[in-house]
Order: sequence, then C-alpha cells, then structure tokens
Amino acid sequence: MSDLLIIGAGPAGLSAAIAAAEKGLSVTVIDEFPKAGGRLLGQLHQEPNGEWWNGIQKGEQLSQRARQLGVTIQCEVSVYDISQSKNGWDVYTTKGEYKAEKLLLATGATESPIPVKGWTLPGVMTIGAAQIMGNVHRVKPGNSCIIIGANVLSMAIANELKLCGVNVKEIIIPKADITSNEAGNPEQVLSSLMRLTHLAPTPILRQLGKIGKLVHPKIAIKLFPRKGIRMFDIPLRLKNAALEIVGDRFATGVRTANIKANGEIDHTSEKVVDADFVCIAGGLTPLSELASIIGCSFKYIPELGGHVPVHNEQMQTNIPGLYVAGNITGIESAKVAMAQGRVAGLAIAADIMNDWEQMETSINKAIENVNITRDKALIQFHPGISDARKKFYQKSEVDLTQISKIKKREA
Amino acid sequence: MAVISDDDKIICRCEEVSLGTIKDIVHHFHCSSREVKLRTRAGMGYCGGRICRTIIEKVVQDINNEKVSNESQLSYRPPIRPVTFGQLGGSGNDDES
Repeated sequence: MSDLLIIGAGPAGLSAAIAAAEKGLSVTVIDEFPKAGGRLLGQLHQEPNGEWWNGIQKGEQLSQRARQLGVTIQCEVSVYDISQSKNGWDVYTTKGEYKAEKLLLATGATESPIPVKGWTLPGVMTIGAAQIMGNVHRVKPGNSCIIIGANVLSMAIANELKLCGVNVKEIIIPKADITSNEAGNPEQVLSSLMRLTHLAPTPILRQLGKIGKLVHPKIAIKLFPRKGIRMFDIPLRLKNAALEIVGDRFATGVRTANIKANGEIDHTSEKVVDADFVCIAGGLTPLSELASIIGCSFKYIPELGGHVPVHNEQMQTNIPGLYVAGNITGIESAKVAMAQGRVAGLAIAADIMNDWEQMETSINKAIENVNITRDKALIQFHPGISDARKKFYQKSEVDLTQISKIKKREA
Repeated sequence: MAVISDDDKIICRCEEVSLGTIKDIVHHFHCSSREVKLRTRAGMGYCGGRICRTIIEKVVQDINNEKVSNESQLSYRPPIRPVTFGQLGGSGNDDES
C-alpha cells in the first residue's frame, strides 16, 4: 500500500510524484503507455528564443528525478475500475490490484473525433496518432499526408511530421455539418487562430495574432487567399473543405472542394488530392472517465476543452482523498500541467500529514506559479482559459482544506 | 456534380452505426442520447464508446436543440478498458490474447 497512487506518468503525474516524494511520501505512478512521459513524448518545437523544446528529454528528466526520490513507475498498466475502501483506494488494473491512501488522476487528454466520410479506412488516423508514430516509435506513417482540421495542435504536429520527412500536402478543414460544427466554418476557424497570442510558435501565427487586433475575422476570411497561406512551408487552406476520404481498401486521398467564408460548398470545384495517409485533427478534450466512475461532479467549460471534474485550486475534487492535475482539469500546455502537478503533490502531502497550516505557504506559492506559467504559456489552446479558471475556482464548492483544518482543530 | 450524402458515414465504428441511423432514431422517437444508445447499440461496442460518445451527444443535442449539460447522459461504466476474464479474475498473467 502506497501513500499515494498516481494514474498517468505525464508532466502532471511525474511532477506531482516528485513534489510528494520530496515530502517523504511513498509514491507509485502507473501509466498505460509503454514509456513514461505522457504527451511530452510527442512534443518537439522551437520556442521564440530559438531553443528547442524536446519533450522526450523533459520526460526522461522528470522520471529520472522521480526514481531518484524512490518513486515506483510502472508502465503498460491500464486501470479499468476503482473503488473506495476504508483506508483509501482499491485500483483494479490489467496488472493486478493497487492500494493507496490518496489517489491522483493525471490521465491527461484525449482527441476529439471528427467523423469525416471514409474515416474508417485504413490509413486514416488522428493527428496525435501520427505524432506518436513519428516522434515516439520513429515510424514514418507514409510519404505524403493531408491534415483535416486547422487548430493549434494540428499546426504544431504538421511541422513535426515535416521534420520526420513527410510531405504534408495541405491543412484543410472538415466539411461543415452536424458533426463538425465550428471546425467546419472558415470564419470561426480563422477567428480562433487569430486570437492566438503574440507568443505563438510560428511567425504566421504571430502575424495572424497581430492582424486579429486590427481586422474583424469576418473581413479577414474574405481576404484570406483561396490557395491558402504557407506555414512552415505547408499550405494552410481555410477555404478548402474535406468532403470525403477516398480509397478502395485503404485511404489514397481526399475529395476536396472550395468553400465560401460561411462554409457553403462550391461543388464545381471538387477534386481529389492524393496522399498516403490522412490525419484528422479535432482538438483535445479532458480524459476523465475514471473521475466519472468514481462519482466526481463535472462541469462543462468550453474554454477548458469540455467536461472537467469539479476541483479547487489545491487540485482536490469533491471526493475526499481524490485529486486531479494536468489536462484532466482542462486543456493547457505541458508546462502548466507540471506546475499543477506540483500543487497536487504538495496538497496531498499536507493532506496525509494533516498539516495544512505548515504547508500553506509552499502550496500557495505553487498555485501562484501555475498562474504565472499559464499567463506565459506559448500556446493558448483557448483564449479564455485564465478567466474561465478564475470563475470556476471562485464558484468551486470544494473546500476540503477548510474541512481538514476544522478536523484538526477538533482533534 | 452530385452532392455526396453524409448520412451513410459511420459514427460508431465498433457497432457500425451510421449518422443517418442516429438522426432517424432521434427524429422518430424525440429521444435522448441514452435512448439512441439503447436502440442502436451506438457506443456499446468493444471500445466502450471512447471514440463516438461525444459525437453521439453532439448530434442528439443539435437535433433536439439542447444545451450541453454538466453531467453526461452516456455514463461510463467499469471496466473502462477491455480486459480479459483472467485479468478480471485477478490472475493478471493470462496469455490468452
């Protein structure tokens, strides 16, 4: 039995493990993937100062530090059920049962699908799958590809695929229908790209951000060239839609057409663009199935990527002894996830030692660091993250810190 | 040129349920996403709805003109990952796959 079991060995989970182990807790981290690091493993991009962010290295540093502190990290372990026991938690996995006093869910995010006609053909994958194949497994998914879905994630990974030697023919958007919503509306796609901060990782995005301050998206999309603009030398075509993925036994290309600013299709312009594989990029949403089976309350917050488990700034959920950190609490960068992990690790240590007062200063400092990291984040997945978080935490009914304090005084 | 209909595109890959089937059921029964699941098996396949859950909810909400609620209608139930009987039984080391 550990003091703390962490589900998810990504930036949040590993940072929490380090913070908790530094306070003397016995910590076990489990992860479904064969390698620790989580989403870090896929990340490779250049920061504005010219330095490369190498996620694989970052992940290794974190797991090395955790192991030095005596943390047990076990990979290829899938959790399929969790129940609460008298002393904590029973966690059922494909490698047997784990027991722990406190539980931290750091399960990260999952990709939102956009069901384009023909998406069940072999050779069609999510943009995240292509990233993992290239950056983690070192397998080139094909020589040429088309990306359907224009958002921060797809643009970052398009460049990674190019670095892998893939000819990324174009980034287009899905045809507007009941299943694609905003992702299929050129004006809305451009508008969300234009709201990206000036810190965005590519010059084109920075330019779009500047234009966004001067021109309304309604006008900007009218001026947007039909042949697209080039980003990392990859055409970004917001006025071209994917009508269907074609191929007999596997995907061989995409049938595309020109669309108007409102998404209306010009069927006379239909043509098939050939590609070895097709990526669908629908964005990310918190992976919170475990919080759901435990019985957490949820709140739907579009700015955070969907349904998030109700929690407070100390990362406590409305279920005593259950904590969350990282993308399960909302889609943000790995740096924010690491900062949140530290908060969770410290809060759990305070919880176990029943000493909130002594830990209060360091927990508050860690919370402050989350806010600073968020404000400085290179990629804002959604422009309203900070405000949405503030509102959410103000309204949060979770105040277990207070409960613990009262308990302590009574004792 | 002919307009391609999207109604035959697959939404639930495991149970092979099309968009058209889901739309028809919602229009015909004026029902919830849970009822769509029970009537069509969409979201009840091998993957446990991990891929199509959000799409089903979105289509149903759109047709019924509903706002997204805080709690999902399509609940998660353990086991949330495919497991073998051996794993469920606790032996944890069956090599039947």
